[in-house]
Amino acid sequence: MTQETLALSARSLPRLNWPRFRGAGRLLANGHIRLALAILVPIVLLTIFRPVLPLPGPLDTDLRAMMQPPSLEHLFGTDRMGRDLLSRTLAGVQISMFVGFAVALVALSFGLIMGTLAGFFGGVIDRVMMAITDIFLAFPSLLLAIGLVSVMGTGMLPVVLAISLSDVPRFIRLQRSLVLSLRTRAYIDAARTVKASQFWLMTRHIVPNTIAPLLVATSIAAANAILVEAGLSFLGLGIMPPAPSLGNLIRDGQSYLEQAWWISTLPGVVILLIALGLHFLSDGIRQVLDPRSRK
Amino acid sequence: MLTYSLKRLAQLFVTVLGVVTLVFFTMRMIPGDPISAMAGDNLSGVALDKMREQIGLNEPILMQYLHYLGGLAVLDFGNTVTTKLPIIQLILDALPITVAIATGTIVLTVLIAIPLGTVAAYMAHKGHKMLDNAVTGFAMVLDLMPSFWTSLVCLLIFSLALGWFPASGTVSLNDPAGLLHRIALPVLVLSMAQVATMARITRTSVLEVLSEDYVRTARSMGWSELRVLFRHALKNAALPIVTVIGLSFGNLLNGTVIVEFIFTLPGIGNLLVGGINSRDYQMVQTLILFYALIFVVINFATDLGYRVFDPRVQF
Repeated sequence: MTQETLALSARSLPRLNWPRFRGAGRLLANGHIRLALAILVPIVLLTIFRPVLPLPGPLDTDLRAMMQPPSLEHLFGTDRMGRDLLSRTLAGVQISMFVGFAVALVALSFGLIMGTLAGFFGGVIDRVMMAITDIFLAFPSLLLAIGLVSVMGTGMLPVVLAISLSDVPRFIRLQRSLVLSLRTRAYIDAARTVKASQFWLMTRHIVPNTIAPLLVATSIAAANAILVEAGLSFLGLGIMPPAPSLGNLIRDGQSYLEQAWWISTLPGVVILLIALGLHFLSDGIRQVLDPRSRK
Repeated sequence: MLTYSLKRLAQLFVTVLGVVTLVFFTMRMIPGDPISAMAGDNLSGVALDKMREQIGLNEPILMQYLHYLGGLAVLDFGNTVTTKLPIIQLILDALPITVAIATGTIVLTVLIAIPLGTVAAYMAHKGHKMLDNAVTGFAMVLDLMPSFWTSLVCLLIFSLALGWFPASGTVSLNDPAGLLHRIALPVLVLSMAQVATMARITRTSVLEVLSEDYVRTARSMGWSELRVLFRHALKNAALPIVTVIGLSFGNLLNGTVIVEFIFTLPGIGNLLVGGINSRDYQMVQTLILFYALIFVVINFATDLGYRVFDPRVQF
């Protein structure tokens, strides 16, 4: 189907009255988004349906089949305890996606609220917020996460908190700058002349116009969170074995690099694919939703 | 210029102080007792109290804070709990390795990324979209590869399969050739991660410059494309590139931790991971402070560097 026919058929989809949904057809027509979905949707489906796939469980050991290279029976091979690597990889993807989603959600919500408040009201709130975010932005994200995990211990919750802690300040800054640029627009003044309340201005005028860049940033933040989580687990500071995490699996294979290259390499390919997919998604969203962006 | 520098220095000081305080209190506010974590099951009662006293953990927390700040003011960072060696000595011993890796990475990245980005910009300018997209896409894939994965893949290919580079071994600053050989792989891995961003910024920046009037003038004067590109376009596109070089230092701080761990290089990244694994809070605290300091100082230097590259920049 050519671009135009796809877009035309999208327009004939039942339209919901909420204005933003009219963009859904345009979203699907964008090349980057289609590529992103082509990568991400199969991975997500495989992950969700893993329990019903004809694969051994991620924790099932089979000591007769240790360190087997990829074959028809074990598509990704097995590790040193005979566990099927594909199954463990998919379980790891599940955890990674959860972390990515959780971090993105936390960063988006906190950043949206606090950034809007800082940008809209200015003054002391703004300055305090900037000083605090400055402190957190003084750290590269992996180091901040390492520092926090060393204090809070390992596990899902510390990892999510640690990674969000470096993303939230970035989102606050982003939203604040967006709000600042919108605050002086004419339509805000126009709305004020008809006695629009602060709350109305914020929720009905400012925030909907900042959603698009925020969504782009969210997608990238999710990709980044997945990469940082993998890094933490690789260093032994994130999700601990035997719970599989993509970083974990790569760490497991490190000692057997020469004998069993597949244990370390294949989960990494999956991480790469997920990150690529999310980046293409963010590119696509930016192209579709931002009227001023050029290709 | 001077007032701006002083203002920024003051900001820097406040930020670092904030970081120090944050790290200090977070480390001490955790539930659980670091002393028993360190001592394990072997000590109890009086012995534990003695250990606490030695480290000063029996004092009220504000006193500990003031003691810590006092120590920092005279550059006394304390001793490691495990070996009782002064932390500052360990850090200074390990720092040259990390600096060597970081410098090597930036040099290699600049050598690869700037020509790559310039070529991509040229392609885009001339309308060869395919080549431009290919280069940009390739750079994006490089960027997204997790550095620990890239390290292992490089180890597999260059070390285990081809045997060109060593995977482990001693590192000595007295042996520059050996050092280069040893850090070649980590530098390669880290550069791959940085090349993408730098090439992309170079491309954008050069692309913008290529459509400026003075480039058209230079061309109309009959100068060769190469001369136009490198003598005029690049110089004016330099400012964002310098920013990125400064920013990529931050990413380097992330990356060195991982490659030092994988290639067993005794740099400060390895000190950090070791410190966390052995629950050495003094070490971790000091290292994180160090990292923050380096990061903030680099940003500050980049800021000041703006003025050098573009005299029009007013503060």
